[in-house]
Amino acid sequence: MRSHRRSVVVFICFLFLFSFSRSSYAIPAFSRQYGTSCATCHIDFPKLNDFGKAFKDAGFKFPKDDGDFLKIPPVMLGAPAQKELWPHTIYPGVIPGIIPIGLRFNSFFNVVSKNANNINAQLLPGTPGTVLPSSIPRTDFEPGFFSIFTAGNFGSDIAFWVDDDISVSGANANGTLGDAYLRFVNIGRFFKLPKDSLTFKIGQFELDLPFTQARAYDISPYDIYTEANIGVLNSLAPGQQNVNNVFTFAGAAHGVEFSGGHTYGGYHYAFAIMDQNTSGSTASNPNVPTATGGNSGSVGLFSDSNFKDLYGRFAYRFNLDSDPASRKEIQAAGATGPRDHTFLTLGTYYFYGRSVQHIIGDTGTNVLEAREPFYRVGGDFNFNYHAFNLYGLFMYGHDDNLLPLSTLTGFVSSTPAKFNGGFIQSDYMVLPWLMTIMRWDRVQSTADFLNGIGSSAAGPNPGNYFSPAGDTRNRFTPGAQFLIHANIKASFEYQIRPPQIVYASGATARLTNPFRTNVATAALEFVY
Amino acid sequence: MMKRNALVLMVSITVLSLAASAGTISGKVSGVSGESVVYVDTIAGKTFPAPTKSPVMDQKGLVFQPHLLVVQVGTSVDFLNSDKVQHNVFWTSVGGNKKLTHNLGTWPQGEKRSFKFDTPGAVPLLCNVHPEMSAYIIVAPTPYFATSDKSGEYKIENVPDGSYTVVAWHEGAKNQSKPVTVSGDTKADFTLSK
Repeated sequence: MRSHRRSVVVFICFLFLFSFSRSSYAIPAFSRQYGTSCATCHIDFPKLNDFGKAFKDAGFKFPKDDGDFLKIPPVMLGAPAQKELWPHTIYPGVIPGIIPIGLRFNSFFNVVSKNANNINAQLLPGTPGTVLPSSIPRTDFEPGFFSIFTAGNFGSDIAFWVDDDISVSGANANGTLGDAYLRFVNIGRFFKLPKDSLTFKIGQFELDLPFTQARAYDISPYDIYTEANIGVLNSLAPGQQNVNNVFTFAGAAHGVEFSGGHTYGGYHYAFAIMDQNTSGSTASNPNVPTATGGNSGSVGLFSDSNFKDLYGRFAYRFNLDSDPASRKEIQAAGATGPRDHTFLTLGTYYFYGRSVQHIIGDTGTNVLEAREPFYRVGGDFNFNYHAFNLYGLFMYGHDDNLLPLSTLTGFVSSTPAKFNGGFIQSDYMVLPWLMTIMRWDRVQSTADFLNGIGSSAAGPNPGNYFSPAGDTRNRFTPGAQFLIHANIKASFEYQIRPPQIVYASGATARLTNPFRTNVATAALEFVY
Repeated sequence: MMKRNALVLMVSITVLSLAASAGTISGKVSGVSGESVVYVDTIAGKTFPAPTKSPVMDQKGLVFQPHLLVVQVGTSVDFLNSDKVQHNVFWTSVGGNKKLTHNLGTWPQGEKRSFKFDTPGAVPLLCNVHPEMSAYIIVAPTPYFATSDKSGEYKIENVPDGSYTVVAWHEGAKNQSKPVTVSGDTKADFTLSK
C-alpha cells in the first residue's frame, strides 16, 4: 500500500509540475491573419475580453463576416460550388493562408522565505559526517515554458486547437501536450436548433471550467483545481480511508464535449464524457493493440477503468448595462468606445466518476473489486464593472470510501473522503497595461492534514500539501501584471502561504512551530 | 451693340488676367517614402469659406480608409463604421495641441458621426478597441493643398500669385515649411527627416 501511495504521489507531483501551473496562451497567429493587435481579444493576455470570448465561441473566427477581416485569405480546399455536388465530391473546406503557429516562452525568478529549510529539522540529530542534501535556495532563476500552439478554422465551422509545451524548466523531456481537439461549431443547424445552441468537441481538452486553468494568467495555479482526494491509511492518524483518487480539475480530459450558448451573454452549457483515471497509472499489455501502440500495445491507453466520467456545467450571464440594445451586443457601447459589459455570471457544475480498485481476495485466486463513486460539485460567480472584475468558485468533493474487510472477503463502507474549498479573485485594470490582482485560495481537507502527520520530507509528498498545520489551508496572493507590449508581459505575485508544521518522520512529535513558506515570483513572458 | 462688345471684352480681360495670376506650386518631397501632404499655410488677413461637402473617413476591415485625408479648415468629416464589429474614433491632439483631444465614442455599423475641424494641423486618428488602427486627417488652413504621389511628387493648383509659407507634412516626420513666392508655375522641393 505504501508503494502504491508513493506512485500516486509521484503522479501528483508530475501533474503539479507540468500540467497546472503557469500555462497561458494568446494566439499571435490570429494577429497575423487578421492584422490586428492582441488587445482586440485580450484584456491582459491570455485573459479574454468579451470580443475574444465571442471569437472563441464562434470557432476562432469573427462572429460576423469573418472573411471581410482576414488580411491573409485562406487556401481553398475545393471551390465553394463543390458543395452542390456533395456527396459525389469531397466537401470543400479551407486551411489558413499562413501556418497559424504561435510560440511562447517565459522565465521566472523566485524568492522563497528562509522558512523553506525548516524541513531539515527532520534530518537532525543525525550521524556525524553524513552529507546533507542541498538546502533550498532563497532565490532562483528558472527557465519556464517554451510552448507551441496552433489554432484556427477549417471552414464549415470546424475549429481546431493544439498546444504543446516543447520544454519545461529547460528540459525537453518535461514537455507535454496541452489541449488538442477539433470543435464542430453550431452543429445544431443540422437539427434546426437555434444558432450556436449545440457544438461538439472531441480530443484532449480542458473541461469547460468556470475559470480556465490551462489559460490562466496568474502565475500560481488555483489550489482547489489541483486538489486530488487521497484518503489515508496512516497508522499515526485516526480514521482509516482507502481513497486514492488523483483526479483534479486542472488535468486535461480525453473525450467528447457537447456545449452551447455564449460566454459573453445569456446561457452557456457544457456536457462532457471522458476517460476515467483515478489511479494515476494506466493499464498496458503487449497483447492488447492500441491505436498509437500498434499490435504491441502499451501506448495510448489512458483509462484505468471501464467507466467514463461525466461532467456538466450550466451558467447564465446577465449583461447589466443600462442600454437595452447594448446588452445584446458582443461588447457594450461605452461613452468613449466599446468595452466589456457590466455583467454578472452565475454558474454551477457537477462531475461524476466511479473509481475502481482491485485487490486479491482471501483465497488468493479471487479478485475483489471496490467501486467508489465520487463527485465534485460547486458553484461560481463572475462580476465585472468596467475595469473591475471579481469572481470566485466553490467546490465540494466527495469520494465513497470502501475499506477491505480483514477477512479479505469484501469491503465495508466507511467515512467518505471529503474536501471543499475554492477561490475568490479580484482584478483591477489600473491602466490598459497594468492589472492588479488579489486572490484568496482555500482548501479544507481532513485527509490532507492526516496524511501529513509523520510524513518524511526526504520522501515524496504524502498528499496534496506537505505537513500542513491544520486541515484548512488559506493562501493569499496579491499580484500585478504589466504589459510591456501587447505580447510581452512582466508579472509579479507574492504568495502568503498556509502555515506548516514539520513532524518527526514516522511519528507524531512536532519538530517546529507553525511557519509559512512564502514565495515571491516574478515572471517575464512573451508570445510571437 | 457696341456696349455689349465692350462688356464681353472687359470680362474676357478680367478672366484672363485672373487666370494669369493663378499659378501652381509643384515639386518633390524627399527623405521619406510614401504619400506626403503639402499645403499653403495661413495667409494673414485672408479667410476662405468652408467647403459644404463632407468627406468620409471609413472604418472597414479593421482599417481606417483612407489612411490620409486632407481637408480645409472648417470642413466637417463624416466618420463611418462599415464593419460588423464595434469601433471607436479618437485623437490625442490637433496640430500637436493636446488640449484638443477628443473622443467620438462608438456607433453601430452603417452609421456616421460628423465632426467639424476648426483648427488647422495634423489629427492622428486612433481606435481604442483596435490599437493597430491609425489614420491622419490634415486640416489645412487654406484651400491650397495637395497630396503627393508615392514618389513624393506633388502639385498645388490655382494658387494666386503672391508670397506664402508652404508646409510639407509626412507621417512620423518633422514638418518643414519654407517661403515660396508664387508667380505662375513655381517649384518648391522639400527634404523631410524623421
